[in-house]
Amino acid sequence: MREIHAGGKPLKKAYVAVFLWFTGRAIQAAAKVDKEVQKEFDALPDDFTFALGCLPNGPWMIVGKEKGKVKYFGGDLNSRKTHLRLVIKSLDAAFLILSFQESTALATTRNRLMTDGEVPYALSVIRILDIVEVYLLPKIIASLAVKRYPSWWSFGRKLAGRVGVYTRTLLGF
Amino acid sequence: MNLTNGFAFTCPFKTNSGNKALEHLPVELAALNAFKPLIITSRNLTGPRAMRILTGAFGDSGMTMGFFDDVTDTADLNIVEKIREIFVKGQYDSIIALGGGVVVDVAKIVNLAVSQKIADARQLSPATAIRDPLGPFVVIPTAAVTGMETSKYAFLNGKSFDSVHLMPDLVVLDPRLTWTKDGKTIAEAGLAAFGRTLEAYIAPDKNPFMNAYAVTALRFIRENLTDAVNKRCNKKVSLAIANAAAMSGCVISNTDQNVLNRLGQVFQNIVHVHPGVIIGMCLHPFLDDCMKKDSSRISSLLLPLGGDDKYAAMPEAGRAGEALRDIYEFSYEIYRALKGKIPRTITEAGIPQYLMDDIFDVMNHEPDGAYLRSIIDRVSGGSIKA
Repeated sequence: MREIHAGGKPLKKAYVAVFLWFTGRAIQAAAKVDKEVQKEFDALPDDFTFALGCLPNGPWMIVGKEKGKVKYFGGDLNSRKTHLRLVIKSLDAAFLILSFQESTALATTRNRLMTDGEVPYALSVIRILDIVEVYLLPKIIASLAVKRYPSWWSFGRKLAGRVGVYTRTLLGF
Repeated sequence: MNLTNGFAFTCPFKTNSGNKALEHLPVELAALNAFKPLIITSRNLTGPRAMRILTGAFGDSGMTMGFFDDVTDTADLNIVEKIREIFVKGQYDSIIALGGGVVVDVAKIVNLAVSQKIADARQLSPATAIRDPLGPFVVIPTAAVTGMETSKYAFLNGKSFDSVHLMPDLVVLDPRLTWTKDGKTIAEAGLAAFGRTLEAYIAPDKNPFMNAYAVTALRFIRENLTDAVNKRCNKKVSLAIANAAAMSGCVISNTDQNVLNRLGQVFQNIVHVHPGVIIGMCLHPFLDDCMKKDSSRISSLLLPLGGDDKYAAMPEAGRAGEALRDIYEFSYEIYRALKGKIPRTITEAGIPQYLMDDIFDVMNHEPDGAYLRSIIDRVSGGSIKA
């Protein structure tokens, strides 16, 4: 008989934290660059804030609207009141999703995701995340991450969007 | 199926199956209001690899868990009492059984003892009333299962406990644990589940829910067991067998037709032979008897075993014979792939006459003891005196 304390998974946690940090900033950038993302956010309430992260101890990404602008609010779940939480059940599940081994749709069918909040808001956020992933990732990887890759987007939209999103994400404005 | 008579069906557990299903365990335990589990397993029967995988699944959860890995295949109520004391002293709030067979039986009875606050688990007996739901209980089967892990039964040292509250709250089937290189282990589990679900499927008391479980389990086993025995590195097929075994536990808990199950159980209790070995042996004489009694019940087996097209193409008069032929072919494939690793008669199993006498003594106390003995007589291989 022995007692064991669960260890940590620092590498996976670091990967997920960096990914969420970058994606959070990219959502902020995409809201300024892409009209579809802007439209999705316009349909959401004025002070709408959502969190995406994993149980039990994070990391988290908090994004919301403040004075009409979309902002990335960091990773502290207690810093703001959230209207919607998209929760991944474990760090390993988050790693599977965020390293594109599983698409969001597949992870949902495998019971890895939970939604705490209004489902229509969650669907809006998923659509926003899909658009951001298309901007951030090359087609071959983005196809794994999203349910349907938007092949109907024009080359100009993809190129201009990517340049805009990456520049704003890296510079943080 | 007669729907005019009322029926009841109970399957209280949630099943999490698939890639990295174990990693959801901390969240699932939290949903059961459990934060400090005691893991019951066996160092020898389950192995260190499974324990390592389970511990890894708790990574980053911040949880503390107890590990008791001294369960042996001859465990009795003394070991239950020992674990009960550990549970109470360590202030654990839930039980996780990692493995199959006796490990889960011990865990079920420990759960009974700690949930009903029994002062000494050695006082427990099959007569102990189990009226209220018990504490959070999770079963994580490995490849070496009997199929009874998810059932309402617990057998320990000749004592049989029976209550729907003994069934687990959660069953986690992860391909990393259900996979094994040993074809014999998976064949035993598959044959045990196959015999039990087959018997329930042809039972006159089956209801639509049981039917759904039994059809799925039979199809899973028919389509995957041969591959699981031959292609021993295939995680997908072994997961299908583990799912079928989990379903068979639920099916057997909802039927009174359990001749094959009782035969398997009595041999397991007395000579510690895997019930799958005995169920596999007794399947053919049992089916022959069923065929003589009512061939229409056997003909219905063609649908889950042969598939929709075969069933539709075969005229009704030929379905029973075709279903039997399919079962014989299937078991022949399994035994051929195992190359004699699973005995086909009692003589091949090497069970001595004095132990057989003990088995016959137990059977004589059953209401249909004469019938059970007649089946054993037909699979004895000639040297056993019934």
